[in-house]
Amino acid sequence: MGKLFAWDRFYENIPKILPYLSVTFSIVVYATVFGVLLGMVIVLVQIKKIPGLSQLVKVYVSFMRGTPMLVQLMLVYYGIPALLDPVLGTKINREWGAVNFAYVTFILNQGAFLSAIFYSAITSIPYGQTEAGLSAGLTEFQTFYRIVLPQMVKTALPPFGSDLVGLFQNSSLVFLIGVTDIMGRAKTIGTATKHVLEAYVLVVIIYIVISLSVRLVFFRLNNKMNYGKEEIG
Amino acid sequence: MNFNLDHFKESLIYGLIYLPNTLRLVFIPLVIGLSLGTLIALVRVYKVPVIGSLLALFVTVYQGVPIVVALMIYNLIFMLKFNDLAAFLHLKSEVSDVNNIWVGIFALSLTSVCSISEAIRGALLSIDKGQNEAGDSVGLTKVQTIVRIIIPQMIPVAIPMLINNVVGLIKASSVVMAIGIVEIVAGATIPSSRTYAFFEGYAAAAMIYWAFTAVVEGLAQKLKKYTGKFRRNLYD
Repeated sequence: MGKLFAWDRFYENIPKILPYLSVTFSIVVYATVFGVLLGMVIVLVQIKKIPGLSQLVKVYVSFMRGTPMLVQLMLVYYGIPALLDPVLGTKINREWGAVNFAYVTFILNQGAFLSAIFYSAITSIPYGQTEAGLSAGLTEFQTFYRIVLPQMVKTALPPFGSDLVGLFQNSSLVFLIGVTDIMGRAKTIGTATKHVLEAYVLVVIIYIVISLSVRLVFFRLNNKMNYGKEEIG
Repeated sequence: MNFNLDHFKESLIYGLIYLPNTLRLVFIPLVIGLSLGTLIALVRVYKVPVIGSLLALFVTVYQGVPIVVALMIYNLIFMLKFNDLAAFLHLKSEVSDVNNIWVGIFALSLTSVCSISEAIRGALLSIDKGQNEAGDSVGLTKVQTIVRIIIPQMIPVAIPMLINNVVGLIKASSVVMAIGIVEIVAGATIPSSRTYAFFEGYAAAAMIYWAFTAVVEGLAQKLKKYTGKFRRNLYD
């Protein structure tokens, strides 16, 4: 077995694992971009109180918040083929790479979580603002875009940042459905060389660096956003 | 659409059988997290030299580690080094004698200590500094001030955050199936390996978790009302 942890093996792993960071990043980017869109649709449904749909959305958000990411991942991984194959006559399991299931899960999950963040940010702005905008002859969209949105970004930013940190961490679960992200690659290195600890430690360091830099970026952004605040108050 | 209700029911029963394992994985880390987390938060808020900043560094860094990665590392070290440790301590036990649920509990405890300490620190910082000074001025010792004045005021502020932590812990406990501990998810899919009804198995697990978190959140609402009873509402 030899030594449990050797630095030369650790350095050897760096070029082997780092390229797979792109898989992690692609999951996070897809989840954030489409999650924001989905979240906005959900918030729209909730605020407009569209009958039927808004109750459905409520159940959906509660489900996404009340069940573990891992279970959602597995549900999508086994559920999409089970539900769609008989209807469409396809063989999704063979045609889709595992990473596509990860995209779908993370988009659905982020949509729910971001909608909750957006919803509380929008409702934190007094309704009088919207009324003022409408009374000044702005359309509903203009009111939202020019008056509500700039104010809500400020409130939504800190929870959005911690959500993003959580998203990076959760993306490490995808190796369980066979996606080779950095964690999956670390495991395959482990099976190939019988030395997995170095690879895991590298993965941990990568995640720590990502999490600290995301937090730093949001800390800076937050300070910038609050720039004018003291002068008024 | 392929959804077999019988398989779903069977998985539901299997999942519920292993609910006690999940409960263990949630409550032991929760208790450890609450006690150590409060301690860490107090050390950081009262700026104990050296230890305070070391703990701050540890909490910040450790919060960046995904639980599943941490779990894999602990499990690996446990598997490889437990026999040596047992021999060193002259214990007559081997790695096969020890249930590796304790590895899961250890990993979840560390995570919950960090997140709970952050929640409690936030609550402690929200309490006015004058409260400490008032305690001092009436002749209470520092410990008395903390126990009798600061902590009772901190609890209602901390509760919403703590509930989030508990729900997070319940959800995080599912990842321990990655190291082969049988809890709700792994339990619910036991029949699936025979029937290939994995979708039904995971759906059953999801239902159990959903109900579990709903119950916790329902209790939390009650608790919030109870602990907030003595808090003066500024708008009253």
